[in-house]
Parts: sequence; C-alpha cells; structure tokens
Amino acid sequence: MTVKGKYLRIALGIVVIGALIIVPMNFNRYGLYILSQWAVMTIAAMGLNLTLGYAGQVSLAQGAFVGIGAYAAAIMTTQGMPLIAALSVAVVLCFAIGWILGYPALRVQHHYLAFVTLAFSTLAFLVFRNEDWLTKGIYGISNIPRPNVMGFATNRPLPFYYFCLGSLGIVSLAMWWLIRSPWGRAFIALRENPVRALSLGIDTRRYTLMAFAIGSALGGVAGTLYAPLTQYIDPVPFNLSLSLDLLMMVIVGGSGFFFGPFLGAMIAVLLPEWLRFTQGYYLMLYAVAVMLLLIYSPTGILGILDRYLAARRTKAASALRAVTKSKLETAS
Amino acid sequence: MKSGIFAALLLVAMSASGAFAQGAPIKLADVAELSGGGATVGNNWKNGIDLAIEEINAKGGLLGRKLEVTHADSQSNPGVARAQVQKALDNEPYVLLGPGYSGSVKVTSPLAAEAGITQIMGGEAAELTQGGNKFLFRTSFGQQSSMPKVAKYVNDELKAKSVAIVWVNNDFGKGGRDVMTKEFAKYNIKVAADISTEAGQADFAADVSKIKAAAPDAVFIYLNEEESARILKELKRQAIAVPLVGETTLVGQKVVELAGDAANGARGHVGLTTDAPVDLVKAFREKFVKKYNYVPDHNGLKGYLAIYMVKATTEKMGKVDAKKFADTLHGLTIKAASEPGILMDVTFDEKGDIDRQGFLVEIVEGKQVVKQVLPKLN
Repeated sequence: MTVKGKYLRIALGIVVIGALIIVPMNFNRYGLYILSQWAVMTIAAMGLNLTLGYAGQVSLAQGAFVGIGAYAAAIMTTQGMPLIAALSVAVVLCFAIGWILGYPALRVQHHYLAFVTLAFSTLAFLVFRNEDWLTKGIYGISNIPRPNVMGFATNRPLPFYYFCLGSLGIVSLAMWWLIRSPWGRAFIALRENPVRALSLGIDTRRYTLMAFAIGSALGGVAGTLYAPLTQYIDPVPFNLSLSLDLLMMVIVGGSGFFFGPFLGAMIAVLLPEWLRFTQGYYLMLYAVAVMLLLIYSPTGILGILDRYLAARRTKAASALRAVTKSKLETAS
Repeated sequence: MKSGIFAALLLVAMSASGAFAQGAPIKLADVAELSGGGATVGNNWKNGIDLAIEEINAKGGLLGRKLEVTHADSQSNPGVARAQVQKALDNEPYVLLGPGYSGSVKVTSPLAAEAGITQIMGGEAAELTQGGNKFLFRTSFGQQSSMPKVAKYVNDELKAKSVAIVWVNNDFGKGGRDVMTKEFAKYNIKVAADISTEAGQADFAADVSKIKAAAPDAVFIYLNEEESARILKELKRQAIAVPLVGETTLVGQKVVELAGDAANGARGHVGLTTDAPVDLVKAFREKFVKKYNYVPDHNGLKGYLAIYMVKATTEKMGKVDAKKFADTLHGLTIKAASEPGILMDVTFDEKGDIDRQGFLVEIVEGKQVVKQVLPKLN
C-alpha cells in the first residue's frame, strides 16, 4: 500500500510538472503572464509558509520583502548589472532585514507580532515612495530588462515563464530539503510547543530568527522575478495589501503544508481571472468563495485532503480493530 | 407555394448573414481602475465611454457598424493592468482605451506599441508622451502644457514673488508639483514652502500652519477634490488671505459644494471640466447626470472624448483600419462644429499631446466665473 502510494505520488508529480512545461506552449501572452505571476507569488508564499506555517510566526511584512527584492532587481538591472547579482543582493538584504525584524518576534507573539510587522510594511512603502534618489519615488522604474539565462534571452513570454518555473523548481527543492532537515523539525517544534522545544535543547531564539530570515529571503527572491516580469515597478503594488494577499494564499492553500502555497497562489492569482466574466462582481464573488472555503475548512484546501485521509485511516484502523476484536472474542 | 416560402426564408436568412458580415461590431477594449485607489477615476472614465458608445450606436453606429467595448479592471495596480492589457491585445481590438493612472500607462504602452494598436489613455504625467511612442494619445492636457499657464498667471496677474506649494503624494500630485517648481524657477518665484500631503488626508491644520509660517504671496494647491475642500476650509479657519491658485481640481464643482464659503476666491486653470462655459459641455453634463445620477469629474469627460476621437478618426479614414489609425490621428484637428461629440475643438500633435482651449476661473459667491479664456494655440 505505502509503496504503491509512493509510486502513485511520484507519477502524479511527473504528470503535473510535465503539464506545467508542455501545456503553456500553446498559451497566448496573457495566459503565460498569469502563469508566470503564479510561479512568482508561489515563491513568496512559500517563504511566508515557512515563517507562519512551520515556525508559527505571523508576519504581515512579506509584501515588503517582495518589494525590496523587486527594487533591488529594478535598480541594479537598469544600471546594466546582471539579474544574478541583483538576486544575491536581494537575498542577503532580505535575510539580514528579516533577521533583525525577527527580534521583536522573540518578545511578542501572534497579533502583537502582526502589528510590529505591519509597521515595518508601512515603513518599507514610505521608503520606496519618498526616497526619490534611489527608487525614483512615485514615478517608479520603467524599462526593466529581462535576463539572459545561460545565453538564452527571456524577452519573449514563453522563455520568461520557463525561467520563473525553473526558479520555482529550484526553490521548491531547497524547501523540500529544508523542512526535512533537522532545521525543519526544529521549526515545527517551535510552532507546536516552544517551551518543550527549548527543554529539548533547541535554541528557540536562533530558530525563530532563522525562520524569519529565510522566509524573508524567499520574499526577496520572488521580488527579483517580479520586477522583470512586469518590467515596471512603482511603490503601490508593495503596500500592505500584497502582504495580506500572501497571508491569504498561505492560509487558503493550507498553512504548514508543503503544497499549500502552490494551491493558495493558484486561488489568489487565477480565481479572480476566471471570475472576471461576472464583470463588476468578480472581486465580491472571489471574497465570498474564500470565506466559504475557510468556513468549510479552516485549515485550507489541503486541510480538506488531510481530513479525508485521516478519516480513511481511522476507518481502516477501526475495521482492523473490529476484526481483531471478533477474533479475540472467538478465541476466548 | 411551400417552396416559395422556403425560398423567401432562405433569401431573408442570406441577406441577414450578409448584413452581419458587413456590419460586424467594431471591438474596443478598455482597461481601467475599476477598483482600488483609482476607482473614482476608472469608473468615471468607464461611464463616459459607455455613454458615448450608446449615443453612437443609437444613431446607427460608426460607418454602419456597432461599437462594442469590453471593460477590464486593473485594480489600480500596474502589474494587473499589464495582464489585462495583454489579454485585451491578444483579442486584437481596434483601439485600446485606458488606463487612467500614469504608472499603469507606463507599463502598458510598450505592449500596445509593439502590437501596433493605438492607445487612448487618461494619464496626465508629463513624461508619458516624451518617449517617442507613436501609438499613445492623451485625452487631456499633460501637466507640461497646463502648469506653465498657471505659473504665468501667478507671475503676470498676481505678481507673486514667493509661493507655497501643497501637493498630494501620488504620481498625479508629484508630477504637477515637479513641473510647477521648474516653471516658478523660470520666473524667479521663490518656493517658500513645499508641502507633501497624503491622498485621503483629513486634517490639514499642521500643513496650513506651515504655510502661515512661510508667509507666501500665493498658495498653489494641487490635491484631489475632497482634500482640496478640506484644505480650503482650514485656510479660511486660520485666516490666510493670500490668493489660492490651483489647476482643474481646486475650482471644481465638487470642491465648491464641499467647501461652501471657504471656496470663494479660489482660482485656477481648468482644461477639461463639466463646468466649462461651453454649451456642448453643459449638454454632455445633463446627459451624464440623467444616465448615472451624479456629476462626472474630468475623467468622465475624458472617457467620452476618447470614443469620439475614435469616431472622428475612423470617419476621416473612411474605413476601420487599426494600422493607419495612429498615423491619421497625429496632426488631426477635430472641430466641434462637425463632430459635436468632441465638445471643444481639439488638435493632436506628433507626440499624441493635445491642444485645446482652457479657462482661468475664479470662485465668486459659490459659482465658477470664467475670468479669461485661454485660446487654442494653433
């Protein structure tokens, strides 16, 4: 059963990845743009999933980190530097700022922490808007070039989509490894019971900071892809609503599940587009759909699957128990 | 007999399908700020477009074909605007309308230019038409043409030596402030105070105190309508008596309604306003109010004009030709006498900027009074 399940899962994974590569070949530019956006937002949401879902720290600053990454990419690549250099700067910068922002998390929890990160989010927005000399303020930065990857230009929508998908693949593998490493287990221990984690010798202080820093760095990675995707950035997309959007993606997808951000970003990016045929009502319907989902399953989409699997396991176990019990009874 | 009816039916069906092929609707695509921070801008723009299309279709359409428009919401976000414009362009519209925010125009105009489709937009930032884009057209004055008129007025008529500038910190306000600061420098007018405010700001007491401390000869106010009314009230409360000058928003009807007495004495340049002393504009305003039950701002006018730009250009070409559209519109003068929908005579230059008459107005006892008509340049 388990071996069969494992092969089934691998087969499913291959089908999904294959579909993500092959199906978009026939998409128009709009479809490719939306899919690229999905890949970028998934990366940002994965970062938040690490901070929130695995380490249990509420952050309303993920949008600001996407902004920092985007501005790093926009400023550096318009000066003629390669995107990979911008990526390193964004990751280092976001990691460092995330680490510093993690300090309040050592002192405050839950909604208090949310407020601290909310303040940071507003601060970042003001810096993007008011520091004209660096960010060109409200006018924004235009003509952001798309990178050449190993000699291939990604100016056209399809190559750029593959570039985003490839980046998502790399980030996913790294994340897969991370949450299975001792670090990942420490993060989960931190979420489940910080006192017990501390008593077991986990340095909760360091791991809290680390969860924040790595999550933020992934926000930066998403940002460095966002800038060449839209090829123009101004401060407005990186205000609080992006942070709230990302938070919603994590929660709707299933916070603490590896594939949660993939599904959450799909809902947040694609569902409004599918609902556009309803004209003026699409944002309302989208909001209602999200509310209904969370009422039905507070643990998100993957929570439904999890509940179903758990129920099946319980059923199998109780069936087994019944059989054993009857056997024991006849024996006696 | 039976076969006769059948033949007649066939004939009707054939002629109907023939008419259909000839009169397939002309598809236009609009991408605007229908939700988010720019919702007022986008919805006014959209309603203006719908009104104009309804009128044209009621009169038999354009060259015998109906106009059809799809509206898409950019959520006031440039990233979303880009996606929606891409989607619109994939469907190959005749002309692209919108967006209204300058940032969203910047992100989308290269896409339209690449597709060779003309974009008629609402953005007012000076730089939009300075990048050599051959497919981009304004519906209103860019700030580079309206601000010099205000600066000239402040220098020649008010003879001010120092001014305080109050502006709203978004691309509209900042753009206006930057052009204005340069213009004042040309006349050696000193900027005594440079005050940035937030969109939606409610309390202007601190900002007005700063103006008072700077003691300028005039105050230039460049805010949205609601905020303009609030600052006018505060200026009156703190008894600041120097001339108050603005551009379009400060002397709008909505400001007069909201600020009451405090609006008296405010003056400014108005390019496009429903209060313009032009009969066609007044008639437009009545039609708009009848359909939507509110008085539109200049964005409603812009959307309406965009459609009549399409009509006039197409009639000039004598056919629906997306490729030649931009070429035809460059350098075109549309007269209100022959195309009443354009409301006022207008000329488009090689950059896609417009030339049209403007007005210097002052609020006297709660009414807009036109002090001077600034004629069309060419």
